[in-house]
Amino acid sequence: MDTIRQDIRYALRMLWKHRFATFVCAGALALGMGANTAIFSMAEAFLRHPVPLDEVNRLLAVVDSKPRQNIEKTSVATATYLEWQEQALSFDRLGAYSWDGVNFTGDGTPQKIQDFRVTTNFFSTLGVQPHLGRDFLPEEGEPGKNQELILSYGLWERRYAADPKILGKVVKVDGRPFTIVGVMGKGFDFPMSAEAWLPMAFDAKQRVDRDDRPLWVIGHLRPGGSFEQAKAEILTIAQHQAAAYPDAYKDWQVRVLPLGEFATGDLTRQYTLLLLGAVGFVLLIACADVANVQFARVSGRQKELAVRAAMGATRGRIVRQLLIESVMLSLFGAALGIFLALWILSVILSHMPPDIARYIAGWKSIHLDFGAFLFTFGVALASGLLSGIAPSLMSSRTNISETLKESGRGASSGRARHRLRSVLVVAEISLSLVLLVGAGLLVKGFNALLTVNQQYRPESLLTLNLNLPELQYPQRSVRATFHDRLLQSLSSIPQVQSAALATTVPYGNGGGTDADRFLIEGRPVEQREESRTAIMETVSPNYFAVMSIGLRDGRVFTDSDGDSTQPVAVISRSLASRYFAGENPLGKKVQVAGSKPEVWLTVVGIVEDVRYNWIQKDALPTLYRPYRQNPTYYTTVVLRTDDNPAKFTSAVRSKIAAIDPDLPIYEVKPLNQVITESIVGISYVAAMMAGIGIIALVLATVGVYGVMSYSVSERTHEMGIRMAMGASQGAINRLVVGNGMLLTVIGIAIGLPLAFALARALSSLLFGVTASDPFAFIGLPLILGAVAFLASYLPARRAVRIDPLTALRYE
Amino acid sequence: MEPLIQFRSLEKSYDAGGSKFFVLRRINLAIQQGEFVTIMGPSGAGKSTLLSIIGMLDSAWTGEYYFLGEAVHQLNNKKRNELHKANIGFVFQSYHLIDNLTVFENLEVPLSYKNVPHKERVSLVCDALDRFHIVGKKDLFPNQLSGGQQQLVGVARAVILHPKLLLADEPTGNLHSAQGDEIMELFKKLNDGGTTIIQVTHSERNAAYGNRIVQLKDGWVVNESAAATVQSA
Repeated sequence: MDTIRQDIRYALRMLWKHRFATFVCAGALALGMGANTAIFSMAEAFLRHPVPLDEVNRLLAVVDSKPRQNIEKTSVATATYLEWQEQALSFDRLGAYSWDGVNFTGDGTPQKIQDFRVTTNFFSTLGVQPHLGRDFLPEEGEPGKNQELILSYGLWERRYAADPKILGKVVKVDGRPFTIVGVMGKGFDFPMSAEAWLPMAFDAKQRVDRDDRPLWVIGHLRPGGSFEQAKAEILTIAQHQAAAYPDAYKDWQVRVLPLGEFATGDLTRQYTLLLLGAVGFVLLIACADVANVQFARVSGRQKELAVRAAMGATRGRIVRQLLIESVMLSLFGAALGIFLALWILSVILSHMPPDIARYIAGWKSIHLDFGAFLFTFGVALASGLLSGIAPSLMSSRTNISETLKESGRGASSGRARHRLRSVLVVAEISLSLVLLVGAGLLVKGFNALLTVNQQYRPESLLTLNLNLPELQYPQRSVRATFHDRLLQSLSSIPQVQSAALATTVPYGNGGGTDADRFLIEGRPVEQREESRTAIMETVSPNYFAVMSIGLRDGRVFTDSDGDSTQPVAVISRSLASRYFAGENPLGKKVQVAGSKPEVWLTVVGIVEDVRYNWIQKDALPTLYRPYRQNPTYYTTVVLRTDDNPAKFTSAVRSKIAAIDPDLPIYEVKPLNQVITESIVGISYVAAMMAGIGIIALVLATVGVYGVMSYSVSERTHEMGIRMAMGASQGAINRLVVGNGMLLTVIGIAIGLPLAFALARALSSLLFGVTASDPFAFIGLPLILGAVAFLASYLPARRAVRIDPLTALRYE
Repeated sequence: MEPLIQFRSLEKSYDAGGSKFFVLRRINLAIQQGEFVTIMGPSGAGKSTLLSIIGMLDSAWTGEYYFLGEAVHQLNNKKRNELHKANIGFVFQSYHLIDNLTVFENLEVPLSYKNVPHKERVSLVCDALDRFHIVGKKDLFPNQLSGGQQQLVGVARAVILHPKLLLADEPTGNLHSAQGDEIMELFKKLNDGGTTIIQVTHSERNAAYGNRIVQLKDGWVVNESAAATVQSA
């Protein structure tokens, strides 16, 4: 211990003595470790703490999937859930929830609330209790008795000013009276973004329904029960269900997931892992840089190390001494890195719109915690060892007697060191290229997203959502009349060019889309279970013009497409090519599966595809219906304006209030903002990857410069001889730059196939990314080569200025 | 009495383009405890190489080497290192003090490699500072000392653990004559105290402080004689 203290003291002294190199190395490591710590904190939040529940490790989600249709995770049918609940013994509680959305009225401003319908055992399944009041009672899960609600802490604070006497208060939910029986604790908002929970009641028909899949099922493991047992049991029950009802379960597969994994989502997981990998690469590059500097430093200390050996130091002690130095350096880098990570996290957290953040599982858990400090400490130790081990081992192998002689040079180990340093630079170049290509492709893909969305001219569009309560708007004609009045009223606002309706606009609902099944007249029944699905849009006739969606064939809707005329549909180009390949879809009849009444819609037009989100690489087939033939409760209103669309918000609110003062409108945003918020996740990833790519480029450049610069100073004597023998400045230049470029070319050659593999993975993730992008595979290597050329040229310039006479005296 | 050092047919060579270049040839030599031996010879004769082999810093040789009866040629590196640490001290022509350590810390270096506890280390270093009259220099760094002072510290460092054998490679080569004499007197005193000393030098004046001279030429031992003969010559 005492000798370790001595080594640490000496290490600190050496670091201080060479403080410029120390700060450069610590800075490089800080970049690597800061980025790693920040991304680790995010990964920890997303992957380890996506759900802030004490019992999260005992909770599982049971979902349906349909691999044939690439449906990896979806909700389950009511009958399926009820049978699981009855038969599964691995769980002591099996609860369920379904997405909902209601309007709160009658006690202030009408407000759209994100609520969830939950089984009465939902909270006990999760192991949570209300902060105020009580949980739902079992009898409140019976039809007609489910008139209670529990508020989130946030909604209680915002809407009811944290009124302690809130319990027992009756509020109108979609026009029906509900009694507030509880308020959940601060921070509890599961499922994500929940503002209120209402009890779910199943009627006799729902209890046997196996087609409609509204329920997300959460189970709590029985004491002593394991994940594997529960999974095996559920799969066995599912097999029996499939055998008993083959039609209902054809191609469906049950999946059992830990709740954390379920909440995180595959995309978040994939992009988090991508970023973790990228910052890991950056750290490796930084370590290679530091190892190169360490090589240079220990090369200058050969005599000291030989003396220590002569004084009795074993090889292990010398290696330990040098490793302690590099670990101390690394810890210094880690300390700086922590500050950098704090800054990175504060930037990330402060730029995320709250409307989006509440939908990201684990976002609230992002912070630098003890785990992050431990991680950084571990990374610092590992980096210190990684960057110090090769220089230490090589230096400790020095020929002692040769080195202690007056002119001893230890030429052979010098050559070995030089080889290893070259290998490190090649590795740096390769890794940097991989990161640069990854970053370049993501940024390019992101730009492609922005470009493709310009077709809508989103800068002059205002969008808003409204949800007509079923109680006030039960009949189709009432809803259609409301929509007529709405469009008329909004169109009359000065500087509003036109107002249109749609179910969902591109990037609306955070980019979320629901596809429904449809049937094609005349197609055999046995083909009906194919993946014949489309996004169902109900739109006003002018929607296509307002959104600049081009007509390819036939016609769009007109004002005469009403309830009493022939039911019609317009389909998207991708729907036409996928389901009507080789035939003309115009005049063909389609039917939305499960629609009541069952009506066949005649296809009258084909329009261009619309991109609904950044996740789907291929266009989604869409089926449009006119709003007068299918007046919906939920609607998105789109206004094309002559000015900044945000300016029209209050005028729109007052116009709608004039029609129905109790109707809340929400998500009133310019389409530009809707798009920006929807792609904010990928924009974060792209920005972070761009930052990582730039850091990698800088570190690799420093690496090339360092090696070439040291090589020049090591070869001063040789340069002197060459110049004395008549070598021109150009020849010396070529010698140095040639060496640097050789390493660069080798690095690029190794990096290109790796980058190509990454590009292939990315191309499957993101729209606009192709694995054979010329910019990524020609442009970026050229940029890297150019920077490496500069990094070699600067030392070369120093080499040609060497005075041969001085150089020949150089030792 | 058992010799401190005994070589039998010791050879060292390098590969030189397919053939062997011998640095030392068939060295048969015995050095008794308490001797003060001087190795002399022209440049390239193999003097420093022989000293490195004696000091166990060089292990690439053939033949037999016994140190206090222990067959060094049969020992692995770890054992050799232990033998070296326990018995041998070095003094170099260029002093080879560690630039970034103070005089005190330089003296501590060999002790720390022998895992001497902290308290004992401090006591041994203070003794050495006293013995060599350099207490006042203990907090100075090597570049703050004259050449003679540096070599004094070098000698103090070499003998701090009271080695049985002190090896010195041109110990006065970088010193002016007065400083050189001072160091040689110090060696003489140490030898009188029982320390065996082997020095490599070109200086006959220095050789005169010893009691035996071994002459090397082209790697061969060409002559062994008493130091007095050289002195009188």
